[in-house]
Amino acid sequence: MSQQITADTLPEAVLEATRSAPKKRSQWLEVWQHLKRNKMAMFGLVILSLVVFAAVFADLIADYETVVIAQNLSDRLQGPSAQYWMGTDEFGRDIFARMIHGTRVSLMVGVLSVAIAIMIGGTLGAVAGYYGGRLDNIIMRVMDIFLAVPSILLAIAIVSALGANLINLMLAIAVSSIPSYARVVRASVLSLRDQEFIEAARAIGASDTRIIFRHIVPNALAPVIVQGALGVATAILSTAGLSFIGLGIQPPEPEWGAMLAGGRQYLRHAWHVTTFPGLAIMITILALNLLGDGLRDALDPRLKH
Amino acid sequence: MKYSAKTAIAVALTALLAGCGGQEETAQVQDTLVVAQGSDAKTLDPHATNDQPSSRVAAQIYSQLVTVDETMKIVPDLAVSWESVDANTTVFKLREGVKFHNGEELKASDVKFTLDRMVDSPTVAHIAGTIETVDVIDDYTVKITTSQPFGPLLYHLTHTASSILNEKAVTSSGDNYGQQPVGTGPYKFADWAAGDTISLTAHNDYYDGVQAVPNVKFRNIVEGTNRTIALETGEADIAYDIEPIDKETVKNHSNLQLLEGEALSVAYYGFNTTKPPFDNVKVRQAMGYAINSQDIIDAVVTGSGTATNSSISPRVFGYSPKGIQYQQDYEKARQLLTEAGYPNGFKTTLWTNDNPVRVQIAQVLQAQVREIGIDMSIEVVEWGAFLDGTSRGEHDTYILSWVTVTGDADYGLFPLFNSATHGSAGNRSFYTNEKMDELLETARSSVSQEERLALYEQVQVQLQEELPHLPIYVQVQNAGMKKNVKGFQLAPAGHHKLKGISFEG
Repeated sequence: MSQQITADTLPEAVLEATRSAPKKRSQWLEVWQHLKRNKMAMFGLVILSLVVFAAVFADLIADYETVVIAQNLSDRLQGPSAQYWMGTDEFGRDIFARMIHGTRVSLMVGVLSVAIAIMIGGTLGAVAGYYGGRLDNIIMRVMDIFLAVPSILLAIAIVSALGANLINLMLAIAVSSIPSYARVVRASVLSLRDQEFIEAARAIGASDTRIIFRHIVPNALAPVIVQGALGVATAILSTAGLSFIGLGIQPPEPEWGAMLAGGRQYLRHAWHVTTFPGLAIMITILALNLLGDGLRDALDPRLKH
Repeated sequence: MKYSAKTAIAVALTALLAGCGGQEETAQVQDTLVVAQGSDAKTLDPHATNDQPSSRVAAQIYSQLVTVDETMKIVPDLAVSWESVDANTTVFKLREGVKFHNGEELKASDVKFTLDRMVDSPTVAHIAGTIETVDVIDDYTVKITTSQPFGPLLYHLTHTASSILNEKAVTSSGDNYGQQPVGTGPYKFADWAAGDTISLTAHNDYYDGVQAVPNVKFRNIVEGTNRTIALETGEADIAYDIEPIDKETVKNHSNLQLLEGEALSVAYYGFNTTKPPFDNVKVRQAMGYAINSQDIIDAVVTGSGTATNSSISPRVFGYSPKGIQYQQDYEKARQLLTEAGYPNGFKTTLWTNDNPVRVQIAQVLQAQVREIGIDMSIEVVEWGAFLDGTSRGEHDTYILSWVTVTGDADYGLFPLFNSATHGSAGNRSFYTNEKMDELLETARSSVSQEERLALYEQVQVQLQEELPHLPIYVQVQNAGMKKNVKGFQLAPAGHHKLKGISFEG
C-alpha cells in the first residue's frame, strides 16, 4: 500500500511507469496461483469455459434457422437417439441444439446485467461510503427500500410494465441486484476511507473523484469480484425463472427456463424435455458458485492487509 | 441467492410429483363427489359472468325454464309447456311446487325478475336477445315478448345465464349475491374457499327427487397434469379437461375411464381487421393459405379435433360446410402477399392467454407464417388482460375459441361478426360488413327454420372468403373419471350436469 502513497506525490508520467504495471500483474498472478490450487474452483472454471465456448460457436454447432427454431412436428417428443442426442421437444426441435443456443441468452443476460448492476450499484455505494453523513443516509435508505422488495418480484414488476424482451429482462435483473453491490462497495469503502494512505492523498490535495476512483475503488474491487461471480449465477437463475413463468425470452428463441416450462406438462411421458435444460441450469450455476467461492478464498488474504 | 432456494423447492416439488401416482384408494361409503377443474369460478351470479368455470358450477345450482338433452333437443325444465302466441310472443306454463334453496316457492314473479335483471346486465344482455317485456299472467304463467321475431329464443333460455333466480334472495344479498347463490337446482351452495374449493350439498326439495350423492366439491386444480394425478390418487372422482398428453394414461388405468365428445366450440385464429396489414383481405387469405390446421391438431391436441371451414361446430343448428377450406399452400400465400403489397412479409404480433394449449398453437402458427416471411412475435397475456386488450383492439392477431352454448348459429355468429358487437361483446376482429350485418339480422329475426339455414349458409360462405378469423378446428372435450362413478355425461356446451350421478361398489 505504501506504493500508492508515494505514487501520488510523483509527476503523472513517472506515476504511470512506476505504479500498477509490474506491481498489479504480480498481485493478480498471486491470486491466480492461489486459485489454481483450488481444485473445485478449477472444475468450475473448466465447465464455465465449455459454456462460453458453446455460446461463441453455437452457430457452427447447430444452425439457428434450420435446426434450432424449425419445427418438425412428426418427430415430436422423441427420446435421446443418435440423431437427436438429447431428444426432441414438443415441436420436434432438437433439444441439444436449443440448449447450446440457450447458453447465449443466459450468459449475455447474466454477465451484462451484473455489469450494469456493478456500475450503478458500485458508484452509489462508493459515493455513499466516501461522503457519509446525509448523502449516505439518503442513498442507503433508498437501497433499503429496494432490498425490502424481493428481487424476483421487483424484476417481475419491471418486465410486466416494460414488456418482455431481452433488454428489459437485463435491466430488470440489473436493477433488482443494484442494492447488494451498493452495500458491498460501501462497506469496503467505509473500511478504507480512514486509512492512512487515503488521508495522505487528501493531505496532498487530491480531488474526491481522484481519491475514489484511483485509490478506493481498486482496493475495494476484491469483494465486488466475488459478489459479481456469484451474482452472474443468480442472474442466470432469475432469467430462467422469469422465462419459466413466461416473462423472459419469448418463443421461438431458445432459453433454458422457457424450455423447462414448455416440457413441464410432458414430465411423466417425456422426461428428457425438462431434464436436460434443468441440468444445464444446475451445472452452470454450480460452476459459477464454485468459481465464486474459489475467488473469494484467493482474494481474501488481500483484504486482510 | 434468495432466489435459488425458491427454485430448489420448485425442482424438488416437480420431482415429487413425478414420483407419486399409482396409489390406490380404498374408499368406504362415499358421500362426496369431487370434481377437479382448471380454474375457480369467478362468481355464481349467472348475470355477472359468462365464463365456463363459473357456468360449470352454476349449472348444478340453478335450473332454467327449458333445457337441452344430449342431442341438443329442447326439453322442459322449470316450464312444463310453452306456446307461441305469435311471432313475438311465447307463453310459458311453470312447474308447480318447485322450491328454491331458501324455501321459497318458484313463482312467475321470479321469472320476470330474473329476465328483467338479465336484460339490464351488460355482461349477458346479448344472451337475452331481443326480449323486451316479461309479463306475469298468474303465479304459474309468464308471457315473454320480443321486440322483433327471435328464432333461437328457446335455445337462449337454456343458457346458464338464463338461470332462474329467487327475487328475495337476490335483493337481500345485494352485491354479495355471487357468493351466496340461491337456485332451484339439484344442489345448493354450501361453502366457497376462494381459489380452492366450492362445496355443494344436495337440495332436499329438488322437484325431480333428492340426489344420490349428498355432497359435491369443485376443486380448482390449475395444472392439467395435476388433475390427472388427482384422479389417479383418488383425490378427485371426475377431472375436466384432461391434457392431451395424459389421455392415454387415463384410458389405460385400471380404475379410470375417459369420456370424449365433440364440443360446441371452435378454436380460431383472429385478425384485427381495422389494423394494417390485416385490413387487407388478401393478407388474411394469405394467412389462411400459410396455415396447416391438421399439424396443429396432431401436434398440440394429439388428434383430438377436426379441421374445419366454419366458425361453428357441425353440431350447431345452422352449420354449413360450404365455405372455402384453406389448405396449406405457401406459393399461393406468397402470391397473395405480393398482390397485397407485402412481397417480403411483415412484422406482427400474436396475442394469446396463458392457456398451455393456446401457447403451443401460437408457436406452431409462428413457425408456419415464418415460411412466407412474416415475423410474428407472441404475446402471452393473462386472461383478464387478454380480454381487455383484445376488446380495445390493441392486438394485431389473436387466438381464441367460442362455444356456441345455445347450440344455435345465432349465438355462434351474431356476436362475433356483427358490427354492433365490436370488442367485449364478441367481435374482437372488429369486422364490419353491411351485408354481413343484414344477413345476421334477418337470420335472427326469421322464424322459418329453412330460411334461417339458407341465410346462415351464406354467412359462413362469406366469412370464409373475407376471413375475419380463420377457424382452426372443432374442439373435442373430455373428462376423466373413476370407473365407480355412474351416470355422468358430457354436455355438448361443456356445462356438464352432475344430476343423477351415483357411486357403484
